[in-house]
Amino acid sequence: MDGTTPLVEARGISKGFFGNPVLKAVDIALHPGRIHALLGENGAGKSTLINLLSGALQPDGGDIRVDGKPVTRLTPQGARAAGVAVVQQELSLAAELSIAENIGLGAAPRRFGLLDYRALRDRAAAASALVGLTEPLEMPVGDLPLGRRQMVEIAKALFREPRVLILDEPTSSLSAHEAGVLSGLVRTLAARGVAVLYISHRLNEVQALCDYVTVLKDGVVTADRSLADVSAEGLVRLMVGRDPGDMFPAFKPAAAGEHLIRVDGFSAGAVYDVAFSARAGEIVGIGGLIGQGQEDFLLGLYGAIPAVASSAAICGVGHLLAGVGAATAAGLAYVPADRKKEGLVLPHTIAANLMLPSLGRLMRHGLRDRRGEAALVADLARQLAIRGDTGRPVQALSGGNQQKVALAKWLPLGPRVLLLNDPTRGVDVGTKREIYLMLRAFADAGKLILLLSSDTPELVHLCDRVAVFREGRVVATLAHGNASEEAIVGAAMGLATKELAA
Amino acid sequence: MKAASISRGLLRNPPLITLALVALVWIVAGLSLRGFAAVGHLRYILELSAIIGIVAAGQTLVILVGGIDLSVGAVITVTAILLPLISPDWDPTGLLGVVLTLAIAAVIGLANAMGQVFLKVPAIIMTLAMATFLQGLLVLIAGGSAVSVTNEAVIWLGSARPFGVPAGIIVWIAVAAAVLTAIHRRPFGARLLALGANPLAARLSGVDVSRTTFAVYALAGLFSGLAGLLVLGMNRQGYVGIGDPYLMTSIAAVVLGGTSILGGRGSYAGTIPGAILLVTTTALITVVNASPGWRSIMFGSLILALLLISGREAQR
Repeated sequence: MDGTTPLVEARGISKGFFGNPVLKAVDIALHPGRIHALLGENGAGKSTLINLLSGALQPDGGDIRVDGKPVTRLTPQGARAAGVAVVQQELSLAAELSIAENIGLGAAPRRFGLLDYRALRDRAAAASALVGLTEPLEMPVGDLPLGRRQMVEIAKALFREPRVLILDEPTSSLSAHEAGVLSGLVRTLAARGVAVLYISHRLNEVQALCDYVTVLKDGVVTADRSLADVSAEGLVRLMVGRDPGDMFPAFKPAAAGEHLIRVDGFSAGAVYDVAFSARAGEIVGIGGLIGQGQEDFLLGLYGAIPAVASSAAICGVGHLLAGVGAATAAGLAYVPADRKKEGLVLPHTIAANLMLPSLGRLMRHGLRDRRGEAALVADLARQLAIRGDTGRPVQALSGGNQQKVALAKWLPLGPRVLLLNDPTRGVDVGTKREIYLMLRAFADAGKLILLLSSDTPELVHLCDRVAVFREGRVVATLAHGNASEEAIVGAAMGLATKELAA
Repeated sequence: MKAASISRGLLRNPPLITLALVALVWIVAGLSLRGFAAVGHLRYILELSAIIGIVAAGQTLVILVGGIDLSVGAVITVTAILLPLISPDWDPTGLLGVVLTLAIAAVIGLANAMGQVFLKVPAIIMTLAMATFLQGLLVLIAGGSAVSVTNEAVIWLGSARPFGVPAGIIVWIAVAAAVLTAIHRRPFGARLLALGANPLAARLSGVDVSRTTFAVYALAGLFSGLAGLLVLGMNRQGYVGIGDPYLMTSIAAVVLGGTSILGGRGSYAGTIPGAILLVTTTALITVVNASPGWRSIMFGSLILALLLISGREAQR
């Protein structure tokens, strides 16, 4: 330790949701003037730790110290008073308000009980200048592109003159130039004695910027050390905790089945003029940077958003499917990325969610066959190892088990094509592996799987080939073996547009 | 321990709370107020409850799916005024007029759904606009005068008592059986609840949103029309404004019965005692000869109190 008292420190804190431990006896200390990286896979507990440090959540055990003194109950107000400012991953700006109003929101200077707009302007202008915001301060935030909004978010944190600045994936929506400005700013703040906690998935960025690292894996600290002599590979090993090879079932090339999807000149939403075909038994990866039209591609095939194609054949239907009903009837199933908002009816029971797509299939004398339904639900729960009472609301399950429900509910329909939108996002490592094995088994059983994933290793290890999207088009199709992480990321960034059709 | 778990089970079951409250009020009032417990009086309470209960059947479906129907009062008025005007004289049974009127009521409901499905107008706006539109139309058609009913079928509905049971109550029992079956034993009900709790997830799971919306609002129109015929049969006269009291009471009955106003949770099983509770409260106020102002104050307090007891909205 470098002798200074940490500004904020957590000692042995634990936190669980619905009985699933998310953090187990975690220690972290934020020292003044130090840029501290927090690394971990999705679902490792990073967000929960941030929420505990900023008072948004209360720990189940352990304590949080501010300036070395234990705080019994850290509230968001208390954290703010202690100088903790968080820049969240989900932008928390009011689109209708101006840049200045957003920057000062909740901490705006007052005069005679009214907002002091002149003082607000001056101070907001100072904060904006720090992050390189040149847009007029009266401009509504809703008119700004995503990257600029992120800069407003950071200016908003600086406006509060924080002693501890927590940045949750601040560069994910920033351009290279903006990210450079941010790096400079973070160094300046650290030089002034601010403690910075920096969360990022970009390892080179972390290595260039940060002094110290805490690595979380499955809610446990696996490393807490100086970054001086750690390699990128070493960091990955600390985060993953095992060789990626162990995670994935053995790859098996698909036997050439019949064509289940064949579209030409396909456009839907952000997707423009894509030619694509896939056969039964294949696992086809859909990759690329976030928001390049991959989701619209799946939704368009599923009939959930309007789509056009110059020619199309899907599961024996000679045209695009007109709606979700037609798609499920043809044998397609879609598992959305955001299971809480799109995949599941959270307040309803596990059983009700599992039955939803199959309603009307089990009937007796025109009424729902209760016994048949109960047997089906029990069978699905057993197949997917969803433990416990299926009469519980589905929101009581962990993220991984929720995802299993979102997938399992389609099985009674016997779909031939599974459209999976990032099925392992926010899922713990154990369940991830279960899902991978399931996908392998589905493909072996002759189903076609389109796997959209933001997790590049999945694309590398599971897929027969990977279609990489960029700006609404397929810029590369990489066969298994050619589809290394470097090749996928390179194609996604527009480095090379080579066609290696399988 | 056991008593505690029973009372906790009761609190988790809003229809039972409401039913228990009805029973409590009936017992206390029956013991303390002369004439309250007379068979004729209780039967009259149920007969009035039937009207609210039938309107609220449609309202329950609409609220379960996450919408609201502010046009039920106007539809009641429409049927009560239109039926005498369109019943053909050459049909002595009056059934043709009944069928025509109910069809019009259902079509109004369909129009409500169309506005939502095709024009993407929110339910609250669409049905409010529909109600306002219909009221204007009725003033043009009927003017300010009342129309008397001569339709035999409707008069029978309003006055017949097969085996001593008023026809309105029999109709209500039939409606209740149909609606309860639809909600709990048909796929329709499960789709309704899923749609009300999470429209996006329901749509992506294959629930046909437009078809369900059409069905729900058409049923709401149909049930309001049916209630309108009962009102007309009991009143023997239709006039502009006759349906107005049923708008807020239908919503109140649904909420008193524990159905979430946000949609996705609840049942008609709660609306039934909810409707009876509303009418009973009104009857109590009349029996003790208090100002009708107290009725509204009691309704408001009851709704809030039941909501707080079961914490039903807070659980979401």
